Amino acid sequence: MIKNIILAGVGGQGLVLATRLIVEVAFRAGFDVKTNDVIGLSQRGGRVWGSVRFGEKIYSPNIPPKEGDILLGLEPLEAYRWSHLMKDGGYIILNEKEDYPTPVLLELEKYPAEEIEAMKDNYKVINVDAVEEAKKAGNIKAANTVILGIMARYLDIDTKIWEEVIRENVPEKAIEANINAFYRGYSYQP
Amino acid sequence: MKKVLTGNQAIAQGFYEAGGLVAASYPGSPTVEIMETLKGYEGIYAEFSTNEKVALEVAIGGSLYGARSMASMKHVGVNIAADPLLTFTQTPINGGFVLVTGDDPGMASSQNEQDNRIIGKFANMGIFYPGSSQEAKDFMKIALELSEKFQTPMMIDITSRVCHSRGPVEIGERVEHKPGGFKRDQEKYCMLPPYTFKAQYFMKERIEKLEKYAYDAAFNILEEVEGSDTLIVTSGLMYYNLKELNLPVSIYKLGMVYPISTKRMKELAQKYKRIIVIEEMMPFIENELKLMGIDCTGKEYFSFTGEIHTEDIEEALYRMGVIDKRKYEDVKAVETVGRPPMFCAGCPHRPVFDILRKLNVTVIGDIGCYSMAVLPAFKAAHVSLSMGATLGVTKGMNKAMRLNEDKKPIVSVIGDGTFFHSGLPGFVNLLHQLDEEDNMTFIILDNRTTAMTGGQPTASSGRFNRKDDMDIDIKEVLRSFGIENVREVDQFKYRETREAIRAATKEQRISVIITTRPCTLKYKIKEGHYYVNPSICIGCRTCVKLNCPPIRMAKYEGIDDLKSFIDPDKCIGCSVCAQTCPVGAIKRSE
Repeated sequence: MIKNIILAGVGGQGLVLATRLIVEVAFRAGFDVKTNDVIGLSQRGGRVWGSVRFGEKIYSPNIPPKEGDILLGLEPLEAYRWSHLMKDGGYIILNEKEDYPTPVLLELEKYPAEEIEAMKDNYKVINVDAVEEAKKAGNIKAANTVILGIMARYLDIDTKIWEEVIRENVPEKAIEANINAFYRGYSYQP
Repeated sequence: MKKVLTGNQAIAQGFYEAGGLVAASYPGSPTVEIMETLKGYEGIYAEFSTNEKVALEVAIGGSLYGARSMASMKHVGVNIAADPLLTFTQTPINGGFVLVTGDDPGMASSQNEQDNRIIGKFANMGIFYPGSSQEAKDFMKIALELSEKFQTPMMIDITSRVCHSRGPVEIGERVEHKPGGFKRDQEKYCMLPPYTFKAQYFMKERIEKLEKYAYDAAFNILEEVEGSDTLIVTSGLMYYNLKELNLPVSIYKLGMVYPISTKRMKELAQKYKRIIVIEEMMPFIENELKLMGIDCTGKEYFSFTGEIHTEDIEEALYRMGVIDKRKYEDVKAVETVGRPPMFCAGCPHRPVFDILRKLNVTVIGDIGCYSMAVLPAFKAAHVSLSMGATLGVTKGMNKAMRLNEDKKPIVSVIGDGTFFHSGLPGFVNLLHQLDEEDNMTFIILDNRTTAMTGGQPTASSGRFNRKDDMDIDIKEVLRSFGIENVREVDQFKYRETREAIRAATKEQRISVIITTRPCTLKYKIKEGHYYVNPSICIGCRTCVKLNCPPIRMAKYEGIDDLKSFIDPDKCIGCSVCAQTCPVGAIKRSE
């Protein structure tokens, strides 16, 4: 059984750390792992995406079209952009906060809100205002951890491993807020 | 013990375990992280040098003394370093020497897609081509050993995916490798004729020995499937993409793509009816096989550009008739609104390019974050080629314009990192055969860091950041050259900057303007945010055209027309929009 996870967002949203946390968790749970860390310009507001694959034996880090199990959409348009990689009926965890790209800022094109909404027809979309949830957990910067928490429900890996990996990888003073954020996501009801 | 590492980290780990001592680099995607990782190891001297040529030379110095040494750089960096490389390769290697080059098939973050295996062969080097993090580490260790065994510099050519991909890596202990010291031997190390005559034979024999060694070397893996009449020859990530298909065909995976054992290939060609080569970019392995007289197929079915994914391999093998059904569907990518990169909120480059766009002058750009001025939001740079190219190009275009009695001004932009990397010779050259009609304006965007690659220090960073050890004053450097007309401006004083640039373009001489604001991202600048008073805003969109991430048109309650809006979470308070607003609708929050 191979799990294919896609991460999509905007430069500066913390995709690299999210990728690192997922792969570390899967590795400690005993799986073979491969990732693509951020592809694209990691800062400066461009589109960025990455992937994590884990299972008994993983050769390539790349996820072929229609093989994605879970898509972590840190920004709705970016989730939509990579949705073609997803299996029909796959999970899309969608952070609702829109980040408008240049063509929208300059009023040259419309933000594709309807198309994003229509992803519900093909996939199981879980909407979350991750920033709001992170605020409630005590740290606005823990938005990605909320999303990881939601995803963890579908992975069947002991939450203790998640806790351990979060503790080792986030700054000391943000640990508690991130653990809170993780469990807030884990028990999140849309 | 195993750890999950990126390809870049694994290369650093391999160098560490092999007792590497001297490492140098110039930052460039996709290899930046190698040197950043090496800086964290005890017992290794690691530096980001001024440019790739210097980095290579630092590594050469270490190697000549007998220390295991390496240089890492992006693919185009090797062009800068090609001069010392192509002569150094004639000398017998003392301490193991590896050049790591990061190729970028698909150009995720590069100005071209050159395939550096060609340069490796040109330089008579053995070339390793890793496809996973584990291989990246293993090949670094093997390459250092072979470098010493065959007295040859070795290349590790690693693609951007493998650099940035993570996978489990077996971690080993460091084995110290004490340098033997430099033994003076002019015949070996002074590359002048007649010493170079012998060197040609030395290189030829060396690569022939390596080719023989490749015959049964463990880093080239033969996976034979009984009953297969097809052999696929591949390397690097292409092997792993192919393995995803789990096909009943034989595979010869080259860990070292140059030189390839002719004897081995001829034996295999006898055995198999059909040989297929799968590789990204140029038909390198394919051409090597064809030079051996081996009939094979490759680029006829695979793209010469971009990345090749598992589904592309499947599709090509289907067209060739190697497989009769496919498991992956053709899926069309989603077509939707693009998201080009943009200057950060509060980026000091923004006002400069807004001014240049409005002045409507020809701008010769260069490489750095400011390359983004080319993008549609600004279209304020009109040539963008390679590191430091702006100086020579500007001068040459200026001379052609004057000869053609074209009196228009010409503007050149260059960052501080690029200034020190390769801008200096271009600035010196400006003074040669200077004419009265010349009108060139050079804007040096001194943001005190190599921003595009993640904020490494430059030679002027120390003026701002005490922990950086170099504090070179660009203005003083230029003055010492005899370039007197140099002024510094704070580009967050918009009008003053605009007047300075406008005045400079009207002067028939060399004008240099140094903008002094540091990188917002690197130095984490955040001041009170600005906001729009919608009852004053006339909806002219002057601020929106600044293409600042927080600024857009929005609906306000009780107002029919759209008015400008600034997202307070994103605004860092640079004030540029407020200064360009014609009606004073943008105010600083208290």
